[in-house]
Amino acid sequence: MNLSFFDQFSSPSLLGIPLVLIATMFPALLLPSPSNRWIASRLSTLQLWFVNMVTKQLMLPLDKKGHKWALILTSLMIFLLLTNLLGLLPYTFTPTTQLSMNLALAFPLWFATLLVGLRNQPTISLGHLLPEGTPTPLIPALIMIETTSLLIRPLALGVRLTANLTAGHLLIQLISTATMALSSTMPAVSLLTLLVLFLLTILEVAVAMIQAYVFVLLLSLYLQENI
Amino acid sequence: VLHTTRPLHTTQQSLAPVPPLPEKGGEVRHGLIPEEFFQFLYPKTGVTGPYMLGTGLLLYLLSKEIYVINHETVAAACILTIIIYGIKKFGADVAAFADKLNEEKMATALAMKNESIQTLQRAIEEEKKEQWRLEGRSYLFEAKRNNIAMLLEANYRERLLTVYNEVKKRLDYQVAMQTLKRQKEQDYMIQWVEKNVVQSITPQQQKESIAKCILDLKALSKSAHAAV
Repeated sequence: MNLSFFDQFSSPSLLGIPLVLIATMFPALLLPSPSNRWIASRLSTLQLWFVNMVTKQLMLPLDKKGHKWALILTSLMIFLLLTNLLGLLPYTFTPTTQLSMNLALAFPLWFATLLVGLRNQPTISLGHLLPEGTPTPLIPALIMIETTSLLIRPLALGVRLTANLTAGHLLIQLISTATMALSSTMPAVSLLTLLVLFLLTILEVAVAMIQAYVFVLLLSLYLQENI
Repeated sequence: VLHTTRPLHTTQQSLAPVPPLPEKGGEVRHGLIPEEFFQFLYPKTGVTGPYMLGTGLLLYLLSKEIYVINHETVAAACILTIIIYGIKKFGADVAAFADKLNEEKMATALAMKNESIQTLQRAIEEEKKEQWRLEGRSYLFEAKRNNIAMLLEANYRERLLTVYNEVKKRLDYQVAMQTLKRQKEQDYMIQWVEKNVVQSITPQQQKESIAKCILDLKALSKSAHAAV
């Protein structure tokens, strides 16, 4: 099939049946299911070790009340990691390239942290709007700026993830097209472009993991401020 | 009406012991294709069968443009190279790490079990020692009894000695009193006798005795002169 550059971002469907739900839930199938054995397999041991490490790292700065968020943050992290990494395979659909999905993840979670803060400790939450030690004339302007920055956080979270992944995927497409187009005329330059593609792919692997981590880390930071 | 038809409470329900997991996973060639596939094709096509099948399939797809080579192919080649390189380089290390985690888990559990076994064995030995000590108890009591008897004896003798000394002191006192009294009487009598004697010497007698002494002396001196 002849692909254009944006076919990978369109919602997948087979004979009119939308497959986006399967595509989103697919990474969960790759994780080993819990068995009733104490030591099951290497994969489940590695998964256990990884999940323990992630949860501990995320929950270290939070106090006891924040530990309620452990499950959602860890599962979010694992989900983002897997979807991002699986999206690097050819002909796959990456759900996290869709702004709708990223905003759907970011907005409720950010809003939840905000509400928790405003409900339990409203003074401290609002106090975060003004950094310490600002000179008095600057206070009104700074409050406005901080409020804007607060309200723009969910947008930032969603768009950051979307933009990074979409840009990466597009770049891969473009450079591989360039490689293919040059291969008939200038094979040497084509090989150079292929080298660039290798490096780019390595970068994309790193970006995939980092973006997942950053998303969850920022959410946990917002939580720390407010819990 | 009972809606379940399975037999209830016939066996002891227990999920343990579970049968052990197989040591190694299924044999896989080239990381993807199970060995059983090759064995399945071997009787009809020999060793090269599956490879011919793969190559033919690939060429068919390519030549009929069922699979179109597009930019994704190049991207696929890249990512697959990276994945295979990663697996080959780090696969063994990751497996060893997972095995190490499992081993540590088992080792802690085994250590706990062994430690409790050790504690119990030590307790058994201590108990046996206590029983042995029990047998020697009579000797211990005998020795203690002897000790106490000796102490009592020594104490008794000490007190006896004290009594003897006290009594002797009292008797000595009485004796000393008596001697003192006798001496005093003697001295007094001597003094009295001397006093009376001295008193009885009249002056006349005194003169006479002195004259006699002088005469004696003269006589003696004469004889002494003669001797010289």
